Amino acid sequence: MTGPDFSPVGASVRRNDARGKVTGETRYGGDLAGEDALHVAVLRSELPHAEIRGIDTAKAKALPGVVAVLTAADVPGTNRHGLIRRDQELIASRFVRYTGDAVAVVVAETAKIARRALGLIDVDYFPLPGVFTLDEALAPDAPQIHPIGNLLTRKPILRGDAETAMREAFVTVEETYLTQAVDHAFLDLEAGMAYMDGDVLTLHASGQWVHEERRLLSLALGLPQERMRIIQPATGGAFGGREDLGIQIYLALAALKTGRTVRQDYDRAESMTARHKRHPLRIRYQLGADREGNLVAAKVTVHADTGAYASTGDAVMRKSASHATGPYRVPNVQVDVFGVFTNLSPCGAMRGFGAAQMAVGYELALDKLAEALGMDRLEIRRRNLIRNGESVTTTQVIPVATGLQCLEEAQRRIGWERRDYETGSPTLKRGYGISTFCFGLGYGDGFPDASRARVRFAEDGVLEVYTGAVEVGQGLTTVMAQIAAQECGVDPESVRVIWADTHRTPESGSSSATRQTYFTGSAVQIAASELRLQLMDIGAAMLPVHWDDLTLAGGELRDRHEASLSLPIARVLEEGRRRGFSLEASGIFKPPTLPSDPEGLSPRSFITYLFGSHACSLLVDVETGEVKVERIVAVHDVGKALNPRLVTGQIEGGVTQGLGMALMEEVIRREGKILNPGFTDYILPTMVDVPPIEAVFLENADVGGPYGARGIGEPPLIGTPPAILSAIADAIGTQVTETPATPERVWRAIQEKPHRERARDLGMPASVHSGE
Amino acid sequence: MFYQPKTVEEALELKARLGTAARFLAGGTDLVVMMKKGRLTLEDVVDLSRLSELSGTRDEGETLYVGALCPHRTLESWPIQVLASAARQVGGPQIRNRGTVGGNVGTASPAGDVSVALLALDASVELISLRGTRMLPLREFFLGVGKTAIAVDELIAGFRFRRPSRSAFYKNGKRNSVAISVVCAGVSLDTDGYPAIALGSVASTPLRLLKTEAFLRERGLDPETALEAGRLASEEVRPITDHRASAEYRRAVAGVAVTRLLTQLMPGGAHVAHV
Amino acid sequence: MSPMSSSLPPRGSQANDDERLPLAFALNGEAVDTRVHPLDTLLEVLREKLRLTGTKGACHEGECGSCTVLVDGVPMNSCLILAPQVHGAEIVTVEGLADGETLSAVQKAFIDCGAVQCGYCTPGLLIAAKSFLETCPNPTPEEVRQGMEGNICRCTGYMKVIDAVVEAAKAMPNPKGGRHDRA
Repeated sequence: MTGPDFSPVGASVRRNDARGKVTGETRYGGDLAGEDALHVAVLRSELPHAEIRGIDTAKAKALPGVVAVLTAADVPGTNRHGLIRRDQELIASRFVRYTGDAVAVVVAETAKIARRALGLIDVDYFPLPGVFTLDEALAPDAPQIHPIGNLLTRKPILRGDAETAMREAFVTVEETYLTQAVDHAFLDLEAGMAYMDGDVLTLHASGQWVHEERRLLSLALGLPQERMRIIQPATGGAFGGREDLGIQIYLALAALKTGRTVRQDYDRAESMTARHKRHPLRIRYQLGADREGNLVAAKVTVHADTGAYASTGDAVMRKSASHATGPYRVPNVQVDVFGVFTNLSPCGAMRGFGAAQMAVGYELALDKLAEALGMDRLEIRRRNLIRNGESVTTTQVIPVATGLQCLEEAQRRIGWERRDYETGSPTLKRGYGISTFCFGLGYGDGFPDASRARVRFAEDGVLEVYTGAVEVGQGLTTVMAQIAAQECGVDPESVRVIWADTHRTPESGSSSATRQTYFTGSAVQIAASELRLQLMDIGAAMLPVHWDDLTLAGGELRDRHEASLSLPIARVLEEGRRRGFSLEASGIFKPPTLPSDPEGLSPRSFITYLFGSHACSLLVDVETGEVKVERIVAVHDVGKALNPRLVTGQIEGGVTQGLGMALMEEVIRREGKILNPGFTDYILPTMVDVPPIEAVFLENADVGGPYGARGIGEPPLIGTPPAILSAIADAIGTQVTETPATPERVWRAIQEKPHRERARDLGMPASVHSGE
Repeated sequence: MFYQPKTVEEALELKARLGTAARFLAGGTDLVVMMKKGRLTLEDVVDLSRLSELSGTRDEGETLYVGALCPHRTLESWPIQVLASAARQVGGPQIRNRGTVGGNVGTASPAGDVSVALLALDASVELISLRGTRMLPLREFFLGVGKTAIAVDELIAGFRFRRPSRSAFYKNGKRNSVAISVVCAGVSLDTDGYPAIALGSVASTPLRLLKTEAFLRERGLDPETALEAGRLASEEVRPITDHRASAEYRRAVAGVAVTRLLTQLMPGGAHVAHV
Repeated sequence: MSPMSSSLPPRGSQANDDERLPLAFALNGEAVDTRVHPLDTLLEVLREKLRLTGTKGACHEGECGSCTVLVDGVPMNSCLILAPQVHGAEIVTVEGLADGETLSAVQKAFIDCGAVQCGYCTPGLLIAAKSFLETCPNPTPEEVRQGMEGNICRCTGYMKVIDAVVEAAKAMPNPKGGRHDRA
């Protein structure tokens, strides 16, 4: 894939890690350790809330083959971690707050011995009353989970006068929507290896931000950062689920304490029990409009179950608040998002990060409003979507707001005007759904957000890219190779990408927040374009021409006016080395955002926004509530698709996770215990469940991203749940207000429909009422 | 110890000797999972997978015979709809290649799709031991969750049932494929047009709906009685509420399933569309 | 990557004590003769004992298909098979798909169609696809869906996997001689 006319950026270049993945050679975290490694296992709390009165490890230690049994007393540093607040202990010293809390760590010669030893540890628990629902947690006499109480945070948005505007609205609707706890369910279970390399603790385990993980572990274990090295192995999916520290803790501690090579492998039940989840939200949504359907006010109260620890809860709550009214123009807004502790799994980052749940709220509320006004669902969106230069909830002005363009493309492709409700069966009803949404890219709200990259021609003449960013399946290493190749005129398949090794690569922030194409892509572009300039200077002197007369592509420098004047890059490198050029350059991309004011407003919450629209059709069996999705159209404005095949792959994958959230995925808990910690009952979409997906991207260039690119990681998940729920309502004539819309919930909504309608007809204070 | 008998004789000797001290393994699609999760401690395992004598199927004229070790995959293409359709919906292809009919029945899961299909065919189970062979109606075989009427020295050899005139199967799960049944149902009509109706996940065992059947025997099968049979079925089932569904929903779906299957099987009846 | 430091302590001796059962089978065309614990699964023996880590475990209950291998030509979940059960059998894993450096048609199609993202489900999908195409050499997308429903992928949304299987079929010689078009 070379030649002077070939542009690496914008081409569907094959992934540079695909060959190893199809031959089985690629090594993931569980593929690394040899037979010499000791096995690490964690004893997790049996109780959701308890005080530890004592731990007796003598019997476990006496078991032949056990090398160490570690408790909180053995942790040398602060013993605390947490991405935003350090409120979680590596190993619980006194209190356990959910059934995944670590109580002790065993290191043994075999996995079997380690497991047996766990059963020999006696923990004296004093049970404390547990808090398992929002209402229980908020009750005045509720057991307190943390010294700060049961309220983690409150994130408001106050804009205009929502109270008055709602009162004066022509029509208002009100409904409560419930979303569920979702598991990331990446297939590559947490696994890894650690050992002491001299005095450097070396850890091979998959996270999402190796430098931050090192920072947190260093603090928790009392080890200087330079004495810790984290290397990310190949990683089988993350989706936010590898953001919090997990397996790294026990691997690092075990290697440090034993001085031996250690390995650890979670099984699926431990993975699902220990790891954080997507926040379940209770969204009370009130929306008001004028006679023409222009939105005038939104009042939104959200209670989020943030589980036992803060995790990234503060940031998720803020994202829920800042995305509470989506891509719509709402002059008067009153939002309150409360993060509430419970004795359930901590909740934190997952693809969509608080914005995905809110899209269920604002889209279904908008549908209800359309119904109350007798308007088409599409028309009410068209009317209220912000246009270029208008602002989202936070008052941030969006220069290029392409929600409407996305909507029109989705409308055209699904055939909205030709909707066909004929199913040939009285028990099957078809429904069509449509959604529009927006998403702020990057951490935002003033949080330092930076990517760094280094690009160099190595001694063997290969162009190398160094980035601390992690490849978790999204194709980052391929895209970075494309960008470097574009700037330096080489074949993208020849580029060597060195990634996510804290000793060798510069910090590039997390693979999350839909930020890596934009941030690390920019850093690589900056670095590579500096390197390009070196090549130009060297080559220009050799020819000799002014560098401005040169092009660099297809492995050679060429005079743009005089085609016969050209130089292969290899010769330029040779000359550059002779003349003492470094043949390397670094780039840092660190665009600022601004923190919000006390009312939740900010002129620049996010570096840029993404827009999209999904549409779908589906069938509902009205006697059993079963749903079969027939077709999904997913339109996203990506700015510029640096690799179209990777972009559509991200869209299709996100849509499928959205379908899972909409219809089947749910972590079910009773008294703090997960009832479905495995794939038999945590239901993921199979090939049969996923209909043909039309992944469509629009390319309205972003002024700040590399080559105009925005990003694509999270938005594809966000649009699908509201589109599917909207279609179900279209089919059955009433909304399912709780996700996932399992067959039973759909069936129940159908059973309750006559009651709801009667209540409304009697003018009872149901969900819809007219004002004025 | 790990035993791998090559003949039924050897297997029965092991069964007589080891009894419940050993686990007798066919496809292993349930047992191995339970063992790995630590819910089952295995010491001695007897692998039955080499007993090819028990893996075949036989057309015996009026009756059909399915060996206990017949994998689900084999039944998928059978002309007996209720069995073929149930077999097609047990797990993914890999499970169907491995899992056996005898294993599905022997596990005595209330949700066993193939168990329900066999029950709907009014099948009998052939139990063998060194003492001899006995046939037991399948409806007397299931005693509770994981509990059966098998004697400690017995193995399941196979299943025999009369060829139905028509039959059909319905499954409701939380996704469109590879799902544990929330409710499954099988109905067959014998050559006289009398129905046998069985449901899964609506009681502690796969359940024959004898009352509903009696009603249909008396009243005959027509659109009206099919509807009434559905209502009776909803009453006759004894579901529980668990993390997969509520009892209320299971009752409702049981009724819908019975009405639909009967409607579909009725002379001139058409397939009822469902997703 | 060379993670092993040179100063490794001796490994524990307990590990082998109960690996007492002799086991012989053909693995990707080569004879394997080893000893295992009777309750080791085929997946554990492949990965831990034989160090063939291409085959992945993800759910360990037969729901996801990541661990799919061919047992005498039939795709099965290696997490559900006790290793002694395959004594004398022929096993094919992902490592056995390529012919030296030459990738099989299915492997090539997975790369070319973008069917690989995180890659963790890929080995199981490749084995399932190889087997599926033997029974259905010229499939429609719908046939691929039905025939490969036993493999979960969390990244791709399956579209490109389905494309890849259909494309691989086109690139493979049809065993029944000549392609036939479907209406």
